[in-house]
Amino acid sequence: MNAPLRYLVLLGLLVAVLAQAADNPDATLLRRGQYLATASDCVACHTSPGGKPYAGGLSIATPVGNIVSTNITPSKTAGIGHYTEAQFSDALRHGIRADGKHLYPAMPYTAYAQLTDADVQAMYAYFMHDVAPVDTAPAPTRLAFPFNVRLLMASWNWLFLDDQPFKPDPGKSAEWNRGAFLVRGPAHCSTCHTPRNLLMAEQSSRELAGGAVGTWFAPNITSDATSGIGNWGTQQLVDYLKSGHASGKGQAAGPMAEAVDNSLRHLTDADLQAIAAYLKTVPPRHDPADTRAVDRWGGPSAEPDVARTALPGDADTMSGAQVYDAYCASCHQARGEGSFDGGLPPLFHNTATGRTHTDNLVMVILDGIRWHTDDSGVHMPGFAHELSDRQIATLGNWLLQHYGNPAATVSVKQVRTLRTGGAAPHLVLLARLAMAAIVLLLIFAATWLMRRRKRHAAKTF
Amino acid sequence: MAALASADIVVIGAGIVGALVARRLAQQGASVLILEAGPRLDRGRIVAAFRHSPFKGNWMAPYPPSPWAPHPIYVPRDNGYLKQAGPYPYPAEYIRAVGGTTWHWAAQAWRLVPNDMRIKSLYGVGVDWPLSYEELDPWYQEAEEILGVAGADNTGSPRQKPFPMKPVAEPWAMHRVRERLAGVYPVVANTVARNSRGYDGRPACVGNNSCQPICPINAQYLGINAVEAAEAAGAKVIPNAVVYRIEHDVQGRIAAVHYYAPDKSEHRVTGKTFILAANGIESPKLLLLSASSKYPNGLANRSGAVGRHLMDHPSTSLTFYADEEIWLGRGPQSPSSINTLRDGAFRSQHAPYRLDFTNISQVLNVTNDLIKEGVYGAAFAKQLRWRAARQINVKNVLEVLPNPDNRITLSSEKDAMGIPKPEAHYAIDAYTRRGAEVSKADFARIAELMGGTGLRYSAEGSFANNQHITGTLSMGNDPATSVVDAFGRSHDHENLFVCGTGVMPTAATMNSTLTAVALALRTAEHILPAKQAVVANAAGDREAGLA
Repeated sequence: MNAPLRYLVLLGLLVAVLAQAADNPDATLLRRGQYLATASDCVACHTSPGGKPYAGGLSIATPVGNIVSTNITPSKTAGIGHYTEAQFSDALRHGIRADGKHLYPAMPYTAYAQLTDADVQAMYAYFMHDVAPVDTAPAPTRLAFPFNVRLLMASWNWLFLDDQPFKPDPGKSAEWNRGAFLVRGPAHCSTCHTPRNLLMAEQSSRELAGGAVGTWFAPNITSDATSGIGNWGTQQLVDYLKSGHASGKGQAAGPMAEAVDNSLRHLTDADLQAIAAYLKTVPPRHDPADTRAVDRWGGPSAEPDVARTALPGDADTMSGAQVYDAYCASCHQARGEGSFDGGLPPLFHNTATGRTHTDNLVMVILDGIRWHTDDSGVHMPGFAHELSDRQIATLGNWLLQHYGNPAATVSVKQVRTLRTGGAAPHLVLLARLAMAAIVLLLIFAATWLMRRRKRHAAKTF
Repeated sequence: MAALASADIVVIGAGIVGALVARRLAQQGASVLILEAGPRLDRGRIVAAFRHSPFKGNWMAPYPPSPWAPHPIYVPRDNGYLKQAGPYPYPAEYIRAVGGTTWHWAAQAWRLVPNDMRIKSLYGVGVDWPLSYEELDPWYQEAEEILGVAGADNTGSPRQKPFPMKPVAEPWAMHRVRERLAGVYPVVANTVARNSRGYDGRPACVGNNSCQPICPINAQYLGINAVEAAEAAGAKVIPNAVVYRIEHDVQGRIAAVHYYAPDKSEHRVTGKTFILAANGIESPKLLLLSASSKYPNGLANRSGAVGRHLMDHPSTSLTFYADEEIWLGRGPQSPSSINTLRDGAFRSQHAPYRLDFTNISQVLNVTNDLIKEGVYGAAFAKQLRWRAARQINVKNVLEVLPNPDNRITLSSEKDAMGIPKPEAHYAIDAYTRRGAEVSKADFARIAELMGGTGLRYSAEGSFANNQHITGTLSMGNDPATSVVDAFGRSHDHENLFVCGTGVMPTAATMNSTLTAVALALRTAEHILPAKQAVVANAAGDREAGLA
């Protein structure tokens, strides 16, 4: 190699190294981005079962149809590799993609709007550098008219999106402010736990008072002592968020088990303390149906005759005590008292049996409790393949009578509906949603006309 | 005769082996029909039956035989299904039901050691296998991944890839035994199809300690899991279909099988390929039952070896009190063993063995002992606690050599369906007895290391059966001395394959299920090769996804 060429090569190498250095954000920023991405649980929706992290493809059932999550890996062809930081911010906090189209609020950008510019910068750095690109794009979301008109979301955002980042309340402690930021922002608790209005927007006046998540119900987690978590100690809340289990209270199942598994258990103890501190101050929302704290029902009991009564030939005519004895008692024990100091939890003094709303009880019997990212895996096996709708209804009612809230009930129809994926969006609901869409269209048209008139007026002067 | 049923593949027997063969072939796109003599069981009923039984030590209590497909029962008395011709009893236990005998196994899922498959060449005893350990290794791996096998690094059986999961948590008793025997005997976690973590939708073991009557939470892999997987892959199961004859055509190919429904109505099922997987006693029984004018000694029996070379793993044992409280009964029933005596030059002289520690709660045994001794009142309570805390049992698991005189034949007695019952002809030879004698020194040393007192050896000349029914359908290269070839194909019938522990030509010292499953998966691959490229890609994707 001659000298000039050697210099050229060296120069080239130098440029490459420098470019890389400039392109490599510092480790602290990346770690912060990763932590926020974990706290935001992006992976939960943006990964399909068994798929690669953040490559999208999960089909999320919503009342307007199935919304398929997108690839948010830094792939330039299939993901968000071509996004600028500003475009990333727009998507994350304002629900607007790089191509200018609107996202559906299945993406909780109304919560992520609380993130600060510095947060977004860190998350952008993390996604661009530390996430492995995946060059395959999932099938696009296809909703029926009128919901496929993404522009409708502009009016929706105009009505419902508060796009100001979190502003600490100087009157509150640093811990409270940290908790409020996490709960309202990245952890997006309200996405599931706050009830939604006719237009599917969160009813901010009823923050964390309980909402539907597919076939599951995200319970009231306001500070109400009876309906919410007001009688939980801070440490019990932290235990729950860290392990999915709080002794004498309840355990995370369904989407909450997923949130603990993917996200919450990875947060620092200080952050979990902050979340607990904030939750304890959320204005109480009391449900008059809750006449006693949801974790204070029932006590140990057994039906001794169960061992002396032969099982009927037809499994559907088994008594609740018989189903319990055959399928549940090995772990939850003969008197419902659980074992391993609550590791296999008691069924009394347990939110699972204390609520008037019993969908979660049915769902946990059907699906069990599964974690995906740690070795513990199956915390409770599901019985969908072993028990019939009637057996589950019989069992559910027996559990409620013996260990839980005796005013609550489970019906065969309810089990059948939940087993098959929840209530089908029936015509009334669809009609309502269509009306909502039309309202949004009208608002959009009105806004557009007003703006046009203003511009017109401006021109005349 | 009822309407014809037909499939590409007809499998006889819905146990763990038959179902896993069916699953693999159904996954390759074949139509698969599984015929099972026994009924479909329901886990909840089995669990309830066990919970309600006052005889917790009778592991067959939750599995009463059906009138149309009886299986042997010995407690409270012999139901006379498996006839004993002697001179030594062969009281095999098995379950005829959808899911088969692994409804209530200890889930020990061991590989052999390589020398187990060459004992004729190496030690001048028994026979060599028609395939090597190296050939079986990938099939062991596939079997372990399906079953979800937990194992330790130092089992003595070589492997190319790691176990799907770490060993199940060591119970305190085994922890103490391991510590006190350290330096003399390595005590190793058993290789088991029992979850130490969530696996394939099934939970980790939480130590109910009722593995052998029934695992109430499905933490150990059962035949019913295999059946459900086969059904998910498209296979169809017909329960209560008691096959009583396999029919051949003039060329000697299998044309159909005939079964009775419980009402004794007759049904005929045709197919292209037939797989006999009805266990080491029922499979040879069926081949012998299917004798015709062309095959007067039964099908697949040119060699006369069908039903012969019956083996098991006889055990003798020592029970004693340790000098500390170890409290057997927490964790799985069979957690740990000593595996260093499985192979060695001594195999030319006496049987090798494995030493297995029980972890079954001793409360029942000790209670029975105390009642027998006439201990009552306060002394009873005190003694019960003292003994139950300290009692230990260690047994050997001895190899038996294949002997043509040990065999299953058809009895002159018939069952309720009019089908001849199986009859066992069995003896325990000097080779095995010498092994038992040698192992007594190990028993004594183990007791010594545990500070043992009250040593009670099992009765002289008395061997317990371990329900590892092997040898009756032996594989081999020579059609004159074996029933099937190295792929399980019958030497006599091109489209008849045999799967199960019966095809193992020697018994070695390890529980036989995993080897049977591995051989059966190899048979399935031989019948209909997997689409390798697809499988490899899928595995690659999965790994990348986890990274």
